[in-house]
Amino acid sequence: MRQGLRQSMAWLHAWSGLVVGWVLFAVFVTGTASYYKAEISQWMRPELGAVQADPVRSADLAAAFLKGKMPDAAGWYIELPKPEEPLITVHWWKSLEGPFHQALLDPETGAPTKARATKGGDFLYRFHFELSMPPMLGRYIVGACALVMLVALVSGIVTHRRIFADFFTFRRGKASQRNWLDAHNVTGVLALPFHLMIAYTGLVTLAPMYMPWGVQTAYKGDEIRFFVESGMMPEMRAPAGRPGELASVGAMVATATARQGEAPEGIGIYNPGDAQASVVATFEEPHGLAHLHPQIAFDGATGAVLATNGGVRAAATTSAVMVGIHEAHFAGPALRVLFFLCGVLGAATVATGLVLWTVARTPKGAREAGLGLRLVRILNLGTIAGLPVAVAAYFLANRLLPVDLAARAEWEVGAFFAAWLLVALFGAARAEARAWPEAFAAAALLFCAVPLVSAATTGAHPFAAGARFVGFDLAMLALAAGFAFAARKAGRGVLDTARRRAARTPAEEAFQA
Amino acid sequence: MSARPIIGLRYRAAVLGRVLLAALGGYAVAALATGLLSLVLPMPRSEAVVTATLLSFALMVAVVVAVFAVRSLGRAALVVAGLALPLGLGLWLAGAFAGAA
Amino acid sequence: MNPAVTLLNLVLCFAGFGALALSLDRHHRDALGSRVPAGRVLPLRLAGWCLILASLAVAIAFEGANFGPVQWIGALTGAALLVVGLASYRPAWLRPAALSALPLGILLLPVVLAG
Repeated sequence: MRQGLRQSMAWLHAWSGLVVGWVLFAVFVTGTASYYKAEISQWMRPELGAVQADPVRSADLAAAFLKGKMPDAAGWYIELPKPEEPLITVHWWKSLEGPFHQALLDPETGAPTKARATKGGDFLYRFHFELSMPPMLGRYIVGACALVMLVALVSGIVTHRRIFADFFTFRRGKASQRNWLDAHNVTGVLALPFHLMIAYTGLVTLAPMYMPWGVQTAYKGDEIRFFVESGMMPEMRAPAGRPGELASVGAMVATATARQGEAPEGIGIYNPGDAQASVVATFEEPHGLAHLHPQIAFDGATGAVLATNGGVRAAATTSAVMVGIHEAHFAGPALRVLFFLCGVLGAATVATGLVLWTVARTPKGAREAGLGLRLVRILNLGTIAGLPVAVAAYFLANRLLPVDLAARAEWEVGAFFAAWLLVALFGAARAEARAWPEAFAAAALLFCAVPLVSAATTGAHPFAAGARFVGFDLAMLALAAGFAFAARKAGRGVLDTARRRAARTPAEEAFQA
Repeated sequence: MSARPIIGLRYRAAVLGRVLLAALGGYAVAALATGLLSLVLPMPRSEAVVTATLLSFALMVAVVVAVFAVRSLGRAALVVAGLALPLGLGLWLAGAFAGAA
Repeated sequence: MNPAVTLLNLVLCFAGFGALALSLDRHHRDALGSRVPAGRVLPLRLAGWCLILASLAVAIAFEGANFGPVQWIGALTGAALLVVGLASYRPAWLRPAALSALPLGILLLPVVLAG
């Protein structure tokens, strides 16, 4: 901390950015990938073709399956098949504290699907806000990091000062620190509206958890009442406490479809074994920015309509729009590419900032780097190069592991973390200047291998008849090209340093002599 | 920033103090403001809660930046206390602590 | 969502940012070998900001008041990225690219209006 506003803000920017940088990088990478979550899931289950599933029949099949699993559950949730995901996903739980069970059903038979077991794009999506930790802990950590990111953005803006004059400036081939600073500024400033938006709206998506104090004071902690009054949830009934028979869920789906003009995307069944069970049909959000799903609540015993949600007012709409913009479900293909690009810029801003932190603190001359600096360097390499390698390994594992392997989905996740750990250990063992180009080259090779391995194991390649994954294959090749470029750049940096050292050595020797 | 003289214990303690003040004090101010605004904003209560919650994150960021921008740790503590005490008093007057316990 | 509108947004922002970049001495020198002539700064800045505002107007007119601004901000980032890329790797192309973006925008207009 130094005197003067700009100095203290520069200090705050450097240190706040450092402590959350590694988590933020992972959050940006997995979040950016989640813009294409459905496409990733589709690619990871190549056995599934396009099936036109009947929602009414699917709902009845799912309810029969769930009744067999846990008739006295606190709740069931059924995600009906979509064209891009022709599966029924069912969830069931005994209590809201968990554990939450899940299964994927074939919409034809209602039995567990024959497609390979995988977490698909869901793994990256959940990592984005839970970090593969216990869910609550992960969410608190990501929330804290998002808040610190906002602090880093504000202090970064104050520090930068010459935003307009340097807006387009990326000075190539200048001194290394200048170069990294330019790259950090350009990626940070170009997507500044996106960075501010994504951090703030990210906090808003989990606001009831991070900031429950309004509900505490105004509703005495009754969260359900709050959601009903703000129009986000229909009114539901408390369980009667005596057993009852659940009416046909399929019939309720048919009623919901007739009322809304489209089939619901999901059905929640609360206290399914109780005489006063409630069934809530949830629809896709209507065209618009807001993340507001229309819902219809049914009496589980009779199938009669109980209530609908709606009447959302200005503030709640604002909040829903913020969540909607964060998730960008509304974005068509062109806009989604721009969002994806902004996400990549976000990851690049964090990565260049982390590297800049070490470059600015590298001791001059022959002095040894301190322990802290070396640790930061190792973590930087482990995160920035390690995570892409891990993602590529996850995709490769999906194609290479035997289809009928026990606990197959867990093995895929294991491959993800094993690859990540391997790169981190490699980075710790190898000299920094060599490790960067080598790790990036590994990422390039692995991403390049994804379409090839996929073609060899499934026969699905871009030139095959009825090729379905051309976009995915092209994206993998583009990533491979990007990392090859990064490897070349990092390798050239090594050459430059070596050359400079070679040029300097005689002079230094003369000086010492 | 790079070539720093040996860092004294005093300096480290001051940094730790600011970090704690920013994290705990910042959250406390944001939480108190959310609780109070949810009760007193002149709109339906669900709207007041949403408005207060949406603003809370901006408020916390502002407090954190302020804690690091002022000249000394003592002043930073004054800023946080100067915000938290009136908010807490307001909440008490609005009766939030009466029924909740 | 009409891809032609996204493209028109992008083209207008690109031309606008191109003009703004050329109004700065550093990029003008890289692109054209000299500092910005004294009388040129203001017209370039005006043209730049007007084009960027025109892009916002197009976005709101064709995508509505809620989608428009979101798409516009996306286009701003994409276009700025292109300008930075040109300014640092192919500075000589900056002026011709920005100028040729304008007729491209005019060509896109009928497609946008028809869509």
